[in-house]
Amino acid sequence: MKWLFSNDAPIYTQLIEQIKVGIVSGAFPPGERLPSVRDLATEAGVNPNTMQRALAELERDGLVYTQRTAGRFVTEDKAMIETAKRGLAERHIKTFLAAMLRLGFRREEIMSLLRQEAGEEGTDDAGFGM
Amino acid sequence: MPALECKDLCKNYGHTAALDHVSFSVEPGRIVGLLGPNGSGKTTLIKLANGLLTPSGGELTVCGLTPGRESHAQVSYLPERTAIPTWMSAAQLLDFYGDFYPDFRRDAAEEMLAHLNIQPRQRIKQMSKGTREKVQLIMVMSRAARLYLLDEPIGGVDPATRDYILSTIIGNYNPEAAVILSTHLIADVEKVLDEVIFINQGRMVLQSSVDDIREEKGMSVDELFREVFKC
Amino acid sequence: MLRKLMKHEFRATGRIMLPLYLVLLATAFGANLSARGLLNTRYRILDMLGVLLVMAFGIAIFAVCIMSVVVMVQRFYKNLLQDEGYVMLTLPVSVHQQVWSKLIVSAVWFAATVAMVIAAACIVAFDIDFIKYFFQGVGELFGELRKLEAYYAVNGTAIALEVVALCFLGCCAMCLQFYAALAVGHSFASHKMAWSVAFFFIFQFAVQMVTSMIVIFADATGLDYFLANYVHLSYMASIHALMIFLIACVVVYGAIFYVVTTYFLKKRLNLE
Repeated sequence: MKWLFSNDAPIYTQLIEQIKVGIVSGAFPPGERLPSVRDLATEAGVNPNTMQRALAELERDGLVYTQRTAGRFVTEDKAMIETAKRGLAERHIKTFLAAMLRLGFRREEIMSLLRQEAGEEGTDDAGFGM
Repeated sequence: MPALECKDLCKNYGHTAALDHVSFSVEPGRIVGLLGPNGSGKTTLIKLANGLLTPSGGELTVCGLTPGRESHAQVSYLPERTAIPTWMSAAQLLDFYGDFYPDFRRDAAEEMLAHLNIQPRQRIKQMSKGTREKVQLIMVMSRAARLYLLDEPIGGVDPATRDYILSTIIGNYNPEAAVILSTHLIADVEKVLDEVIFINQGRMVLQSSVDDIREEKGMSVDELFREVFKC
Repeated sequence: MLRKLMKHEFRATGRIMLPLYLVLLATAFGANLSARGLLNTRYRILDMLGVLLVMAFGIAIFAVCIMSVVVMVQRFYKNLLQDEGYVMLTLPVSVHQQVWSKLIVSAVWFAATVAMVIAAACIVAFDIDFIKYFFQGVGELFGELRKLEAYYAVNGTAIALEVVALCFLGCCAMCLQFYAALAVGHSFASHKMAWSVAFFFIFQFAVQMVTSMIVIFADATGLDYFLANYVHLSYMASIHALMIFLIACVVVYGAIFYVVTTYFLKKRLNLE
């Protein structure tokens, strides 16, 4: 997994985001054990305390859970992962729409542009069909 | 008890003040960046904490102890320059650290040396400058100390080595200990820090958590640093 | 911890001193060989070789003696006041232990050097007529000494021991003078080595001043006269008293430099 950070948001929120992406995309499959905090932190090149904070937040949301002795696991609840996926998608779409509106496009124009673009790339992606 | 505490700490060299009434404390479990331009007093502060200099005024304690024999046992110090005895072989260096520091994790050090393909019989003198620096870092990070004082650990190294150094620090420090690392290369270390302390011309400018800076000011520590220390 | 410091100090110095001793012993064998016959052959080449071997032995003795002093000074300077000082002076040991470890190890090497030179001399002289004469000479010397002892009722063995102790302590005090000069010189911000050398000579001058002042004082106050006439000591007791006084002086001289050294290492340290 590749870890990238921007300058404008706290590191731990970016970590939450990227671990969510990892879970949704299957890099961390459902029910699988996560690496230790220190290993994850070393891999991402971040402070273990920050990683701990991000994981605790994810745990509160229910996407990961701790088993007292065995460590941290990704949830097996597919519905929950699906919700997270939708949440991520919504955020992407919102930022996309905001950017397009700032460029001066109207909603219908954006839709047609999108359809055009999606059509060129093939119609295999049903994720945007909303 | 704070891992490091300064109260009104002053250090003068002749008539110039290298540190001017500096007060702060660092709690265990935190990784703290001591940030400031060159010549701002970072090295002076770290030397004072190691008892290599004597304060001109104020007070400095390490785990509640004034710097000396007892505090040295708690502190793992990476000097700015390579200071390990060059006549030793890698194995002799391991003996040396193992003899003096009961908290030295010899197997961890051996594993990291093996990872760098360093033979136990190889002499430090025969190693390249970069390898010597890595060996010194391995010795320092193989201790389960209460306070790590790392003076410019990533100064003057290439990006790949920088990653190696930072991951060695993160992967090996004692989680109950505090880590203080001084640097002027902020963008590179920002992600590993809990807290930052800005010092300039011997005075403390700011102590804050990295998350707070990003959340409240909406900018990275690097950007804030550029703003605060604008020439 | 002192033992551990000494262990690593021996490791650091042994790798220089032990090979030097080996070289010394090897050249002693060479000199022995040449004395046995090489010098008196008809072949000029062998003659030359003989001369060279004897010369090598002379140089080796000189080198070993010089090196034991150089190693003593250089270890203190390089290990505590140069880059290595960052590691050494942040060890969980006291400054006193640091200085003692250096001092003890240096003293051991001084003693070892004397022993090695004597051993080498014995090797050179081994099984040659010379050694017979030598021991005859020594025997006569002791014979004379014994007569002297009988005459003055002096205990020769005790005095010899006192002389050895005085020399040994003198070496240690000289070490401490070197240490003190280095420690003071390196507390300056720049020209550290130049200051060290300057301070060595300043200390040397001070020691000589004090010594001559003691002599002048003893002379001027008639202390010697007083001692000779009013304190009734036997010859033996007066010689012992003098030796013990000299030993005490050397100990005081060493102690002063010890205090200077530890003070500057503790409070005025200024590593580059």
